[in-house]
Amino acid sequence: MSIVTDLVARNHERLSGFPAPLEQQFEEGLRALSSRFSPNQLQSWAETGVELTSLSLRSWEAALEYFRAGVNLPSNATWDSMEALGRESLTMAADSAPLAVAFLRSSPAAIQAIGPSHVRQWADLGRRLYKGNWKSSSLAAQFYDAGASVFGVLRIGQAARLVLFIDELARHSYELASACLASSPDVLARLEEDDRLPFLTFAVELAQSSWADSRLYFERGAPLLQKVHAPLRERFLLLSAQVARGHNRSAFQFFEEAAAALGQLEPDDHHQIIELAEQLAPYSPYAAMDFIANVPTVLDRVRVDELEPWHAAGLRILQGSHDGGEAYFRLQSTRGEDILETLSARVELSRIGEILRLYCKALTGQNVSIQSTEALAEKGIGWIDEHRASTEGTTIFLPEVMERYPQKDENFASYKVFATHQAAHIEFGSFDFLFERPGNLLGNSRSRLVTADDASAVTNMERFFDLFPERQLAADLYTIAEDARIDGAVKREYGGIRRALRRMQRAELDRRGDVTKLPLRQAFVENLLRASLDGADAVKWPKSRPDSNVVAESLGMLEVLAREEALVEDTAEATIRLYQAAIAIPNVPAEMPETDWDSVESQEPGQALPMDSSGDMGGEGNQMQLGDVGEGEQDYESPEQVDFRGDFKPELVELLMKLKQDAMRGDAGQQSPVPLTPEQLAELLEKSVEIDLDALMEGDLDASTGMFMQNLMKEAGQQASEAQKGQPTSDSSTGEDAGEEPLQPIVTVYYYDEWDFRAQDYKPRWCAVKESKLEQGEENFYENALHEHAGLVSQTRKQFELMKPEMFRKLKRLADGEDIDIDSAIEWMVEKRAGASPNEKIYWRRNKIERDVAVAFLIDMSASTDEEINKREKKYDDDDYDDDPRKYLSWWVSKRRQELTAPPKRIIDLEKESTVLLMTALETIGDQYGIYGFSGYGRDNVEFFVIKDFDETLDQPIKKRLDKIAPIRSTRMGPAIRHATHKLNLTDAKVKILFLLSDGRPQDHGYGRDRTEKEYAIHDTKQALNEAKREGITPFALTVDRAGHDYLKTMCEDMGYEVVADIESLPSRLPQLYRRLTE
Amino acid sequence: MVEATEERRSAVYDVEEYAVHDEPYYLPIGDEVQLFETAYAQRIPVLLKGPTGAGKTRFVEYMAYKLGRPITRVAPGTGEKSEHRMPLITVACHEDLTASDLVGRYLLDTDGTRWIDGPLTRAVKAGAICYLDEVVEARKDTTVLIHPLTDYRRLLPIEKLGQVIEADDGFLLVISYNPGYQSALKDLKHSTRQRFIAIEFDYPPREQEAEIVAHESGCTRETAMDLARLGEKVRNLREHGLGEGVSTRLLVYAGRLIANGVGARRACQVAVTWSLTDDQEVQRSIEEVVTSIFE
Repeated sequence: MSIVTDLVARNHERLSGFPAPLEQQFEEGLRALSSRFSPNQLQSWAETGVELTSLSLRSWEAALEYFRAGVNLPSNATWDSMEALGRESLTMAADSAPLAVAFLRSSPAAIQAIGPSHVRQWADLGRRLYKGNWKSSSLAAQFYDAGASVFGVLRIGQAARLVLFIDELARHSYELASACLASSPDVLARLEEDDRLPFLTFAVELAQSSWADSRLYFERGAPLLQKVHAPLRERFLLLSAQVARGHNRSAFQFFEEAAAALGQLEPDDHHQIIELAEQLAPYSPYAAMDFIANVPTVLDRVRVDELEPWHAAGLRILQGSHDGGEAYFRLQSTRGEDILETLSARVELSRIGEILRLYCKALTGQNVSIQSTEALAEKGIGWIDEHRASTEGTTIFLPEVMERYPQKDENFASYKVFATHQAAHIEFGSFDFLFERPGNLLGNSRSRLVTADDASAVTNMERFFDLFPERQLAADLYTIAEDARIDGAVKREYGGIRRALRRMQRAELDRRGDVTKLPLRQAFVENLLRASLDGADAVKWPKSRPDSNVVAESLGMLEVLAREEALVEDTAEATIRLYQAAIAIPNVPAEMPETDWDSVESQEPGQALPMDSSGDMGGEGNQMQLGDVGEGEQDYESPEQVDFRGDFKPELVELLMKLKQDAMRGDAGQQSPVPLTPEQLAELLEKSVEIDLDALMEGDLDASTGMFMQNLMKEAGQQASEAQKGQPTSDSSTGEDAGEEPLQPIVTVYYYDEWDFRAQDYKPRWCAVKESKLEQGEENFYENALHEHAGLVSQTRKQFELMKPEMFRKLKRLADGEDIDIDSAIEWMVEKRAGASPNEKIYWRRNKIERDVAVAFLIDMSASTDEEINKREKKYDDDDYDDDPRKYLSWWVSKRRQELTAPPKRIIDLEKESTVLLMTALETIGDQYGIYGFSGYGRDNVEFFVIKDFDETLDQPIKKRLDKIAPIRSTRMGPAIRHATHKLNLTDAKVKILFLLSDGRPQDHGYGRDRTEKEYAIHDTKQALNEAKREGITPFALTVDRAGHDYLKTMCEDMGYEVVADIESLPSRLPQLYRRLTE
Repeated sequence: MVEATEERRSAVYDVEEYAVHDEPYYLPIGDEVQLFETAYAQRIPVLLKGPTGAGKTRFVEYMAYKLGRPITRVAPGTGEKSEHRMPLITVACHEDLTASDLVGRYLLDTDGTRWIDGPLTRAVKAGAICYLDEVVEARKDTTVLIHPLTDYRRLLPIEKLGQVIEADDGFLLVISYNPGYQSALKDLKHSTRQRFIAIEFDYPPREQEAEIVAHESGCTRETAMDLARLGEKVRNLREHGLGEGVSTRLLVYAGRLIANGVGARRACQVAVTWSLTDDQEVQRSIEEVVTSIFE
């Protein structure tokens, strides 16, 4: 009898009580193992299995799996591993049979994966997840079940980290733990082997600090990590883990942003960046991660080698103050911004736009504005290039950033050359072309030229270009000629930028292609362009050609245009001459080696190209026509445009100006003498070579022409209304179009820094203050308020009137004055006679103290001002009625009745009424004043309502606006104060007062670390008040919040403030306070 | 007392004795010289209007010289020649200038008080041109004095003495006024301004300004042209961050610095940019205009 049958028989009794498959499996197991293990070992195996059955009600299932494992035992398994398996199962099954089942079920595959010697370790890992309840048991079971696939991606030692992570998650959510466990083989498989452990390390930290993010991390982490250069991933993850270790809830976000940032950079740079970040980590891991995340933004502005100085400066700040350094690397600090600005060679239009605007205004004497070229392209009015400078006659468009040179001042100089060229177009009249006006130097030959339909042209430029059969060539020549004239004027008038201009011209010349490769007519045009760039040495023309004198005189023609007397009409004349010269040159390749091309010296025109317009120009008698392209030539192509000269579109500019004039006349009620018809416009657009409708808009031509015309009209209309805005119009509010559509309030946005007291630094341009006029409400509010407080009004008026006479005070005992003061004179005489030394100060003078006060009232329009005043008081009154319900009832009834006749007053109502009273007082005394309300939500949306601006007089609209003061949202005081300060600074009063009227502490979304933090808001407000003080403004805060003393003490340390406890007294108190403040 | 400095020698004159001795340089831009001459012949008071540094004061000096020049008196008997000059009394008005500052006041003397004539009284007596510079600055009570002097009466009442003085035949009142810093407070009252003919001054056109700058500063014609160009450009910024445009006077200063070896850009910085404004952005913009014009 074999050992197998023997053992089967011996254990039959113990196993037969269980379902049949158990015994069957036992036998199969024995058979499978009999060849590998000794009889003793087999016996031990059998005993273990049998023992398993007896441990609990369902432990026989574990035994079944145990036997089955025997069958499936992988070939590498030893007896030791089998024995370990048995031992572990026994302990496991004693706790939880299903756990043991799962363990045993996956054991063959697992042993295969981890090797026979790690059975115990593996069992321990699962056991760590088991906490004695069924959820944990099923999680642990899941772990065992996943066994083989997990070990496909992790070594046994590494799996411990996974278990640690799952275990940590399980403390918060078994569902999440189970989901992460399930996805882990796939997630880890996507990572490279070396990355897996660090990946899990961060996961563990993440699970501890913000476990909910683990799912995101498992979903997105792997692809994010791929963005990091492979050898550095571990270090990167360690940095991330440090953030998480600081119990930061947004650790994953840090990880995500930093990884995404690295993804934008060259992998070769990662090393340096991680290294720099690691230097920051000991001080603040957040700063380290923010540093990485912001490197791309910083590198937009500085070169790679400037990154280190920037980092070093930040590190120094970080060493001094964690908050300061963190703000620095978050790019939320003014200091950081300044350092970046110093390091960066790049110049941004947004920073220097205002300087250039004034510069261009000085040059042109017109109110030009400066905008980015992108804004021009967006308008869809014919300019499509987003990078080339241009102008449409009123605005100069410049590229958003300039970084062509390694030095900041050089880049700025480039901006200046760009801006000067565009401004010069305006200054020297590029857009003032009149068809009929003769040129100063070249006369007028235009009128003798004939075209097919002379009359249809709407603009002078169109009429001029209509003369030319080859319009593109004419436009190119005109552009070159006009630019030559403009550059000549710039060089003559502005000697200071000659050098920078010269440098740009040189760079442009170096950039240009080989002229000898061009067909001849194009080579001719290219030569002209080079000459216009002062590049006579770059002009090349075939030696053998007979027309080199034409070329020489053409070059001379451009020099004529650079003379002081040259007008834009001279450019036009020159264009005609050059066109004739160009059209005579066939556009065929020269097919000559470079050596056969020679440079050409310019010659005074007169022979080939006439100076005088009356001379013979190839035409007969009074009428002549310009030539067209010959047969068998190549298509003409325009020369590459010159960068610093930008886009020159004279035809379009003139059209726009004409449309604008039409619009202005339309507004003024006049009809334009010759209004443009859409057909004329369409024809012009079709003809003009300045507009590429296809490039401008997609879709069919008709639709895009329509759209384009709409854009143009809109633009012209806007410009017209802007031009008229400066002039006061009497009917602005009652105008015709006012009724057609509701007037959109005009919102102007201002940006202000915000003070971060932790970082001890400003956050640059942090808050957007949106200023608009408050809507108008009922007009009788103002009168009603006056009526209601009639007694108080007359009292206040009287008080304020009394302040006036005090302005003239007689000053006595002066060394010099209007006249002798008799009393002092007598005294003087007496003293003198008595032999004492008399007091020489015997004059008097009327001292004129001019009252010169400007005050800005800032009214808190936060939601909390909605509170009813009675309610507030009821809290205190309640007790009186508690004992006697009848008394309470009668009080309540009377209160209800009262409420029905007059609705209960809210804080804001009293604020409003007090304002009305104060306004009457201010009107009496004649101080300049402005009344503003503020509210908003978040830093991007600080609403600043103008109720009365300083330069407005108290009239109907303003009285109506007063009615609309209403509770809105939060209270971000800082920016509102800064804006009011700005407003005050615009007045020229000697005494400036900022009066803040509020009902509580400043608070807003994001105005502090979290909702409950008060310090940040209070510190920023305090800083804003300090700034006002530094500007020579007297700030004063008034609050109706009974608890106001707490924070006002901090906020207004050494400034005036008052807490009005009895809010009903506000209307009388406010004027009193104001009087006290200004006396 | 007015002190006149001339070639490092200091000379002391009584106010009514002072006259312009050497012909001041003045380049007429329009018909202002003829206008003034005619007005003087008819004794019509003149108001000179215009921005600061446009040449108002210089013009008055020039006219005083021109009006006084032709008369040479030979004293009878001695045969001693003495030239008659048109005395010019200039009063720079300030906000504390009162009527008694103009008319006169009592001063203490050893045994009582002594009356001292003010500059206006002296001018009225001496038949001088009295030039009240920036008259709006003075207190309103001064206008009371001006009114009877500027119409057919030509009288100066002296309240404290109980006297009325008839003006000498040569007397003429000239006031100047800068509409630039117009604010409601600093405006000339209509009852006052309608007693004068008004000659408007503005900065001269580029060519003339260059000539003035060249003459006054001794710099080269090219530099003067560039300075005039700068003036024109900077004046475009008026009402735009700049209260007033750069005055010809400042351009002359810049020209002098340049003529004496200061670099052009630096000279414009100190004489133009920095003296015009404290606003950094506007300063920077002007600086850019300067660097565009000067190398």
